[in-house]
Amino acid sequence: MNTRSLSFRLIAWYASVLTLVFLVLGAATLWSLRHYLEANLLDSQVRRARQIADTLLAAASRTGDAPVAQQVEDLYSPEANDRFIRITRADGSLVFASGPPADHAFDPANVPPIPPRTRSVHVRSGAVIRKAILPEAKLLIASVSYSGTNDASYVVEVGLSTAGMEATLRHLLVMLGIGLPIAVLVAVGGGFILVRRALRPVAHIANKAELISQQNLRERLPQLRTGDELEHLSISLNHMITRLEEAILSSKRFVADASHELRTPLTVMRGELESLAQDPKLQGETRETLGSALEEVDRLADIVDGLLALSRLDAGEANSERVMFDLAELATTTADQMSLLAEDRNITVRCEAAGGVFVEGDRPRMKQVVVNLLDNAIKYTPKGGHVLLKIARQGGQAILEVADDGMGIPPEALPHMFERFFRVDDSRSREQGGAGLGLSIVKSICTVHGAEVEVTSTVGNGSCFRVTQPLAGHAARTVPHR
Amino acid sequence: MRILLVEDEKKLCDLIERALKAERYAVDIAHEGTEGWKLADAYDYDLIILDLMLPGLGGTEILRRVRRKNLQVPILILTAQDATQEKVQNFEAGADDYLTKPFAFAELLMRVKALLRRGPVTRASVLRVADLEVDRFSQHVKRGGHRIELTPKEYALLEYLATNPGRVFSRTMIIEHVWDQSFEGLTNIVDVYVRHLRSKVDDPFPTKLIRTVRGVGYSLGSSENA
Repeated sequence: MNTRSLSFRLIAWYASVLTLVFLVLGAATLWSLRHYLEANLLDSQVRRARQIADTLLAAASRTGDAPVAQQVEDLYSPEANDRFIRITRADGSLVFASGPPADHAFDPANVPPIPPRTRSVHVRSGAVIRKAILPEAKLLIASVSYSGTNDASYVVEVGLSTAGMEATLRHLLVMLGIGLPIAVLVAVGGGFILVRRALRPVAHIANKAELISQQNLRERLPQLRTGDELEHLSISLNHMITRLEEAILSSKRFVADASHELRTPLTVMRGELESLAQDPKLQGETRETLGSALEEVDRLADIVDGLLALSRLDAGEANSERVMFDLAELATTTADQMSLLAEDRNITVRCEAAGGVFVEGDRPRMKQVVVNLLDNAIKYTPKGGHVLLKIARQGGQAILEVADDGMGIPPEALPHMFERFFRVDDSRSREQGGAGLGLSIVKSICTVHGAEVEVTSTVGNGSCFRVTQPLAGHAARTVPHR
Repeated sequence: MRILLVEDEKKLCDLIERALKAERYAVDIAHEGTEGWKLADAYDYDLIILDLMLPGLGGTEILRRVRRKNLQVPILILTAQDATQEKVQNFEAGADDYLTKPFAFAELLMRVKALLRRGPVTRASVLRVADLEVDRFSQHVKRGGHRIELTPKEYALLEYLATNPGRVFSRTMIIEHVWDQSFEGLTNIVDVYVRHLRSKVDDPFPTKLIRTVRGVGYSLGSSENA
């Protein structure tokens, strides 16, 4: 999973906030419940202690201490109620002490005597509150002092184990411990679905946007109707594509218009120079200069032609004339027509063609692809080199390969090979002539034919240009036309 | 022979006029569409050379009007556009030929000549240039009585040059006639084939027939410049 994705980050953030809130809430619940239970427990102990003091000990002044013990036992039966009750005189002598409780949760003998009064002792409605920590249990004890009429004073201690309260709290903790992760999981799951649903249009837009290139700028992204920020985004993106399209169109129109406008002055220049050049009285040097000027006019005309061809391909003109033809036959006859060019440079052109590789397209333009690639290979392969032209079928695709064992192309130049006017090496290419548009024309023709062209090369070992084009749909049923 | 030239670009117009007059044609000039149509309507021309982009009346419109009047005059279109679709449209409207700027003047003159011949041309079966014989039926080439073996492309190139001895053929013209448009821009293919042709047709003989006019093209015929 992509940890930087928007959905992951949203959910992670949301889950951690939720967990934190739940933890704080759980802790607060536990704390306040403990507080409440403790207070409740203490209140009942204090009440009881006061009761003992007020009723039994008040009587003790008349009856003596002895019946008090029996009365406490009868009225409160501390053992059966798991209570701790102890009554001591001020001098420390014991009046009553309850026995071990029925559940044996604690041993009353272990309960320490009342500590001397210190400031830290907690006082609650006139009773001293303390917590006795026994090895087996914790007791909350409320002590009430009573001074009788006959100068006898007592301390009544009533206590109860906190075990019940702790058990309740533990139970709650367990409930929270199980419930909280489940709640977080459910919330994260719900959040995940929600975020996914909210972000699905974004992925959709991204996929569509990925498909838009210079060739299909007329297309637009799907218009969302969600009424939210994403709809706004899709509208803004579409406006941007419209502006891009206009910018690219106007630059293409400029190139087409400029090339177009150059043609008439070129014709005039050509005509003037030509009529001069054909004057028989001309001296050698003037004739040479005129010839050189005419050659440059030709080159300029070639560039203008190339640019116009490219702008027409950009406009998708080649799509209007699609026929089915045998690419293998086209390539071999073209290679044959160019054989003398190769022979002239002592280059061997070998042809490996599978029979009947039928494709659909504009035949003259596909021929241009073969011509340009072969011309390129012949031009940049040193004398005595080899060029291999290969046409094959490969899984529904027609493959055309032009490989040479020439000087190769440096890796940094490879990505730019199909750019207009790109030259690997200025000095090298200039002397070979050419407008610098041949390969961009190849690329544009391939693009309008739904074909791919790629180049691989190793310096010193040669280069290979490879065109991959879908085979014609009914290739098997067609008879080759010759 | 009287030719009407409708072209708004003055310099180009002058050039074409000069070239045509040098060939002894009578030339009328119109720099603007409406004027061009008036002339075409009023006089009986042997050929109209028409630019497509004209002020006033467009070239295509003049073409339509001329054809609506059922005038059989041949029309040569000059244009800066070479989009196939427009070519087809103009041929349908009645154009006889089509030249895309920038064109070689040699080519313009050849097309003018071809259009003026009117009707089927009686083409000689054997073309003779000095002591060179090109037999179009058997496709045999002889020089000084000796048979010369040529490849089909070399033959096509030589025959094309021999159709108009002394006339300069541009590389573009040669490529379009002997190869096809796919080879345009690869001007050295013509040079290579001419060199091979020379080695067979000229090298064994004292008089050289294939002449190079630098920057323009090639021509066939004995000449002082060879």
